[in-house]
Amino acid sequence: MEEHEMDKLLRNKKAIIIFLTPALLLFTVVLFVPICQSIYYSFCEYKGLTAPEFIGLENYKNLFKDKSMVFALKNSLFFLIFSCVSQLVMGLFLAALLTNIKKGRNLFKNIIYLPCVLSSTALGLLWMFIFSPKLGINQALEKFGMEGPLWLMDTSGFIILPMWVIAFVALWQYVGQSMMLYMAQISGISTSLYEASYIDGCNRAKSFIHITLPLIKPMVATAMSLNAIGSLKFFDLIFNMTEGGPNHRTEVLATHLYTQGFKYNKYGYASAIGVVLIVLCLLVTGLINKFMKTENYEM
Amino acid sequence: MKCDGRGYIMGDKTKSTIVKTMIYVFLILVAVIYIAPLLWVLMVSFKTNAEIFSSPFSLPESFYLENYTFAWTAGKLGIATLNSFIVCGVTLVLSMLIGSMAAFAIGRLRFKLAKPCMTFFLLGMMIPVHCVMIPLFTRFAKMGLSNSLTGIIIPYLTFSLPVTIFIMTGFFQSMPNELIESACIDGASIYGIFFKIALPLARTGLFVTGLMTFVANWNELLLAMVFISDDAKKTLPVSLSKFVGPYNTNYSQMFAAIIIAIIPTVIVYCIFSNQIVDGLTAGAVKG
Repeated sequence: MEEHEMDKLLRNKKAIIIFLTPALLLFTVVLFVPICQSIYYSFCEYKGLTAPEFIGLENYKNLFKDKSMVFALKNSLFFLIFSCVSQLVMGLFLAALLTNIKKGRNLFKNIIYLPCVLSSTALGLLWMFIFSPKLGINQALEKFGMEGPLWLMDTSGFIILPMWVIAFVALWQYVGQSMMLYMAQISGISTSLYEASYIDGCNRAKSFIHITLPLIKPMVATAMSLNAIGSLKFFDLIFNMTEGGPNHRTEVLATHLYTQGFKYNKYGYASAIGVVLIVLCLLVTGLINKFMKTENYEM
Repeated sequence: MKCDGRGYIMGDKTKSTIVKTMIYVFLILVAVIYIAPLLWVLMVSFKTNAEIFSSPFSLPESFYLENYTFAWTAGKLGIATLNSFIVCGVTLVLSMLIGSMAAFAIGRLRFKLAKPCMTFFLLGMMIPVHCVMIPLFTRFAKMGLSNSLTGIIIPYLTFSLPVTIFIMTGFFQSMPNELIESACIDGASIYGIFFKIALPLARTGLFVTGLMTFVANWNELLLAMVFISDDAKKTLPVSLSKFVGPYNTNYSQMFAAIIIAIIPTVIVYCIFSNQIVDGLTAGAVKG
């Protein structure tokens, strides 16, 4: 009787509709429809003033001819790989260190996490000044009689110096998040597992390799997906540190989309860049989850 | 034998003290890399422009506060902070309400389409905001929503929903059945159950999702920059990015502007750092 009453209450059609409608409506109007429109625009010549005109694959063909697009794609991929690898290594390393100390653990943790909550606009501008030709690091180098490089303007090499600088700043800003994810997972591992491994003759390094690493693998997948999507969407730091310059050499997909779409009003072409971005996002998360997802062990 | 044993223990102990010391030295170095840039900017923001170039690393001779007053007024940072507060506050409240309503329906109410609904919402997590900006921008321009705070609140709200719904659904599903049963016996309506029982019980979830939403929207630059061109409607990151640019040559004022932009977050973070870090991590783990 009670169960029947409750079932009736929980199957209340009107309530279900009232609860779901706002979210579903927003999602459809602001996300789903625009995505479809965006895909359609990517096949169109569309500059905002006149209605979109269907031109087939023209925009996609132009993508390959566009030099800045090549830079953007290369930089985005570099960024993706660099941030996945560096965040994994540094995040795990910091997490391993912090879980091994007691005094000051919270303090260090909070200091390293701080930039994650700060505006990357402000931090990007801050680092822009630190790496600018006459300020910050170069002023310090001058004191030692050295002349610093043009950190954000040098254009030699396959991956140019500004990209490395920006990549390290991004690592500096976001490594706290990976570190916290790994710490959360590591502190969930039962100490009895470690005790057993010490009795079996493992030292700390060995037990890290044989116990910690396999047990945090699911979290590696989560953290890596977050990094991957974050690095593909990456915009704020680059926009504020170099604006894609010098000569479009530090352009990434997001800044290129912004420039093409909202500086030159090439909506159709920018939509094609957006489609490339979304395909990459889906592809990368799919790959990571396929290769990294393992069953969750009982801990 | 005995001596060996003690020697071994002693050796092990000194070894582990050395390792501990090395860990601390390394961590202190890391902490310096994190704090030094912020402190340097704070320090030079009190200097005059000439002083930055003549003595960049010494303490400022006098606290030159004009930098701050100039950055505040010329950079229009006051109105920008207010706008950011309005946008983030409204988005926060609405996303918590709309998000937990949908999450309650998916996690607790009984209907066939619950799973497909969830998948639909989760797809939203994969989509970067860049990809919908162009259609939204042209649509909002036609509707007269561009250049208004409402115009950025709507997309912010939508993009905050997936993670809110995902986390809140987890909270509602793990809630004990008995509570709802007893409320049902007491004759509460489904809306009463949602507002008076489910929501208060999911406080932690609301805190976590609210925090994530607020931090993400407070720092958002791209969409706000595209959608708003009127100085009086700009949010903090947009005004900051515009004021601190290649055409400005007064460095100390720009440094002051950066400090003004980050100081509220830093203060709140210093007070609630543990809750913030744990909350955001919990959100990321679940999301």
